[in-house]
Amino acid sequence: MTKRLAHSLLVIACLTIPVFAQQDEKALKKDLTAVIALQGKPCGEVVSVTVLKQNDYAATCKDGNKYHVYENEKGRVVVDKQ
Amino acid sequence: MRRACYSAVIVSLLSAACMHDRKPETQPSPAAGTPDTTKAAPAPAAKPPASSTKAKPKGQDTPAPTAHTPAAKPQPAAPAKAQPAAPVQTSAPTLDLEALKTRLKETKAIGLMTKLSLKNQVDDLLDEFRKHHSGNPTPTMAELRRSYDLLMMKVLSLLQDHDQRLASDIVSSRERIWGLLADPKKFAALQV
Repeated sequence: MTKRLAHSLLVIACLTIPVFAQQDEKALKKDLTAVIALQGKPCGEVVSVTVLKQNDYAATCKDGNKYHVYENEKGRVVVDKQ
Repeated sequence: MRRACYSAVIVSLLSAACMHDRKPETQPSPAAGTPDTTKAAPAPAAKPPASSTKAKPKGQDTPAPTAHTPAAKPQPAAPAKAQPAAPVQTSAPTLDLEALKTRLKETKAIGLMTKLSLKNQVDDLLDEFRKHHSGNPTPTMAELRRSYDLLMMKVLSLLQDHDQRLASDIVSSRERIWGLLADPKKFAALQV
C-alpha cells in the first residue's frame, strides 16, 4: 500500500513540476512583454525567453525583434535591442 | 493493472487541476467595485481628456487647466459630463501614497520586472516635479500633467484585467495624488 502511494506521488510530482514551470515561463513572457511595451519598444508579444542571470533576460518577440532586458547596477530596467 | 489505472486517474485529476489558468487576483465587489471599475477601466485608455477635465473643478493648480484646454477642445460636451462625475469621485475610497505603494508592491497582477520598470518611471516623474518646484522652467505643469496621466494609464492598463479593485482605487485617488504632487508645499512634505 505504501509502495503504491509512493509510486503515485512520484508520478504526480514528475507531471506537475513541468506544469508549474510552464506557468512560470508564461508569466515571465507576459512580464517582459509589459516591460518592453513600457519602454516604448516594438515587440507585440514575447514568444521566447532565455534567463541569463537574475533579472537578466534575452527575449524574442513575435515580430522578430530580440531584446536584452536587464536590471542595471543603478536599479534601472534597461531594454537593449539586439 | 488495477494499480496503474488508479495512478493514472489520480495523475490526470491533479494535472488537470494544475492546468487551469490563473484567475484574476481580486474580483470586484458586487456592491461598490463593479460600477466603479466598469467606469474607471476604459476612462484612462479611451478618453484621456475626460479625466483632465475632471481636474478643472478641483482647482488644484493654476497651470493645470491651461494644460488641458487644447485637449478638451475637441469635446465640447466634456464640462457637462464632468459635473455628474464629481460626486462619484468624492464618495469613492481614495489611497494615500504609502497605501498605493504597498498595494502596487503586493499585487500579483504585475510582474517583478514590470514593477521595477514602473518604479523607474515614477522616480523619473518625481525628479521632474522636483525640478519644476525648485524653479526650473523646463518641465511645465502642463508637461508634468501629461506625463502623470500617461504613467497612470500605463499602470491602469497593467492592472485593470487582473486587479480590478486596485485599478478602481487608483482611479479614485488619481486627482488626490495629483494634488499632492502639484502643490509645492505638499510635495515637499512627501517622503519620496
